[in-house]
Amino acid sequence: MWTFIVRRLMQSVIVIIGVTLITFTALQIGGDPTYLYVSERASTTEIEQTRHALGFDRSWPEQYLSFVSNLARGDFGMSLSYKRPALGAVLEALPATIELTLFAMLISVVFAIPLGVFAALHRGTSIDGSVMTLGMLGQSIPSFWLGIMMIMFFGLGLKWFPISGHVPFLLPLLQGDFVKALTSLPAALYYLIMPGFAVGFYSLSRNARLVRSSMLEVLEQDYVRTARAKGISEYAVIVHHALRTAWLPLVTLIGLEFGFLLGGVVVVELVFSWPGIGRLVFNAINQRDIPVVQASVVVLALVFIALNLIVDLVYAKIDPRVKL
Amino acid sequence: MKTMTRLLMTAAAVIVTSTVAAYATPPDDTLIVGISADASTFDPAQISSRDNSNIAEHIFVRLYNPDEVGQFTPAAALSYTVSDDGMTYTYKLKPGMTCQDGEVLNADDAAYSFNRAADPANKFTGNTPGYVFDAVGFKSAKAVDDLDVAITIAHPNPIAFALMNEVYLHCKDSYEKLSLDQAAQTPVASGPYKLVKWDRGSQIVLEKWQEPGTFKNLIWRIIPEASTRSAELMAGNVDIITNVAPDQMEAINASGTATVKAVQGTRRIYVGFNFGKEFQSTPGGAAIQKTEVRQALQYAIDVPTICKQLLNFECVRATGLVNPPQDNQSLTPYAYDPAKAEKMLDDAGYPRGADGVRFKIVMQGPNGRYLNDVNVEQAIGQYLTDIGVETDVQPMEWASVYVPLIQKHAAGPMFFLGSGGVLGSAIEDMSDLSTVDAGTNYTGWANPDWFSGWDKINSAKTDEERRPVIDAMLKTFYNDPPWLMLYFQPGFYGVSKRVDFSPRRDELMFLFGTKLVK
Repeated sequence: MWTFIVRRLMQSVIVIIGVTLITFTALQIGGDPTYLYVSERASTTEIEQTRHALGFDRSWPEQYLSFVSNLARGDFGMSLSYKRPALGAVLEALPATIELTLFAMLISVVFAIPLGVFAALHRGTSIDGSVMTLGMLGQSIPSFWLGIMMIMFFGLGLKWFPISGHVPFLLPLLQGDFVKALTSLPAALYYLIMPGFAVGFYSLSRNARLVRSSMLEVLEQDYVRTARAKGISEYAVIVHHALRTAWLPLVTLIGLEFGFLLGGVVVVELVFSWPGIGRLVFNAINQRDIPVVQASVVVLALVFIALNLIVDLVYAKIDPRVKL
Repeated sequence: MKTMTRLLMTAAAVIVTSTVAAYATPPDDTLIVGISADASTFDPAQISSRDNSNIAEHIFVRLYNPDEVGQFTPAAALSYTVSDDGMTYTYKLKPGMTCQDGEVLNADDAAYSFNRAADPANKFTGNTPGYVFDAVGFKSAKAVDDLDVAITIAHPNPIAFALMNEVYLHCKDSYEKLSLDQAAQTPVASGPYKLVKWDRGSQIVLEKWQEPGTFKNLIWRIIPEASTRSAELMAGNVDIITNVAPDQMEAINASGTATVKAVQGTRRIYVGFNFGKEFQSTPGGAAIQKTEVRQALQYAIDVPTICKQLLNFECVRATGLVNPPQDNQSLTPYAYDPAKAEKMLDDAGYPRGADGVRFKIVMQGPNGRYLNDVNVEQAIGQYLTDIGVETDVQPMEWASVYVPLIQKHAAGPMFFLGSGGVLGSAIEDMSDLSTVDAGTNYTGWANPDWFSGWDKINSAKTDEERRPVIDAMLKTFYNDPPWLMLYFQPGFYGVSKRVDFSPRRDELMFLFGTKLVK
């Protein structure tokens, strides 16, 4: 197993270099960002001075090599728009995004499994049809639209949930302030409900369909029939025999899904004024704040790599057929 | 089962409690403003964006403050004098001013505020070093005595006083102790409010520590999405929001809890005619070299209808590049008269061809930079096409595509643009065209009557002497237009019925006088 982990970590270095190269090139293609950092009345001399101060007067390869050499020392440079270390800005925003993504995952899994199982057990009935329709809706409705509709209906109309904003839970927890983290937990969860659902609805729908089809397949298997023939209760057959096998594809998907959700929260963070990494990246791209974009992409890539690794390890643990 | 019931009841109680907290109207001592972008810094020398400076206005003092009509009223300074050569401005400061940490704010601190911003070692790029100092030719500032500070500039400049009032003052000892990073994040206030909390991306909380100011707490909530800002306003969770989208005005006004207040801003929205040689070989570029053609095109555009239909605002068409009331009041805006436009183009030697087209021209413009800009650009293109000037409208990405073109004077032959303006100074608005080679003379217009006027303005001693020169120059601009004159961009603010707030034309938000409606 350790060989596997070391090999994966070495592969991740190549992934990170590739990711930074692609991001850097994409931002360079976007044009010279100097004009975003000077007054609209700036003189040519002033523009040149600013371009030099920001380092944009150097060639692309020169800028990239300088970035990579600083990256090796853990230095992503100063944010051009926030005038502070880029990595600090990213790490400050990351917990809010992790909170949102985890909550969205939780909603997705907690609702998807029973819905999928329920639909499979009632195949061809109106219950199954409703779950399938829900699944189709979830995969068709854009998350930003769903977010705005939820704000209008549940926030502004019924006043059940806050329209926007964020109460931090993970950040105080990571800072060791457990009292603050615990006392803010109820409010944090309350503020998470609408954005979490807006982010997680797509995954919920997809996962429910996945669990349904997986369950249908498993329920036809001989060992399930054998379990029933042995007189085991239907609950035990479903939960202990069928579901245990049926949810394996879901475990694989969860890891990928987390990465997908991490990247997909940008619009929802904007709609709900959620101070996470998605919003930070959105603003940084608009401002051509290259250090912040690079730091965000690298951090997200690391999270994604770590998650995939964890999923592989968990998969090996729960499925004895898989050897690492 | 009992445990489950207890858990459910606790969860319900938590949610109900949180609901109350989330929907409680702000307390009477607190004003909440919803803005679209977070501050990037609170270092007074680094601040450049409008949202950022609107917060900073409450933390730092200026020498003089601009009022609603652009006149200056004493703030940190009591009075000022200008040397005979026009190159030294000496301000007398108010006695007894202090900063948040108790340090006395005197002339030495004021001089330090200017010199720190100008220090190249700090590599500041904010409004003060990046624009003000460059425009006035700032040389140095020094304390003459405890309350008098002298600021020296490189050459006499009639708008130096207005520009120098944009500099934020702060205390020397406090800032000498701060690193640049600390100065950006933990400002030491010289104004009535101090920064008590900055949750990045969420909110900025200011607390009053000295007069003036009606509210004890000012909270600036960062809400980037326009529809979410509107929803928060209608729900009563915020008191004022900026940048209301035109399509949300009706809903806000119908909510019963808030109204939209519109104000004609100072940003001049226009279409420039680029006289650059690279365009003269194109049919449109050649045509706009003629004054009569540029005049004719003015008559083709129905500006009030554009304002009403696309901006949801009743506007009066601009007569030039100066904001009213400093403009030439004797000039009447060009009317919408397409028949006249067509006749003038016929007379200028551009009759309609067999295909109905007089000449083709390209109009470039930004996409998403100004209020409804693409729709306005397309409307202008259609108006011009209707009189036989087939216009190819090319909206472009602002930051990396359009701005470089504009800065290189390479946009055109027609280009859509907005240029920031001011209220109290015609000369400052006119300074876009200070010389033929000025960076902001994006059209390359070279009318000698206009540019010779600057010598007369600079040699005039008083505003009364300058006024006839200004009016003559503005008449030249009107008769030989380098711009297709449009409108001053409106600003839309959503205001809760809980508070009495009037937006200003110059987009500044001084909330010291804002109060609760009784």
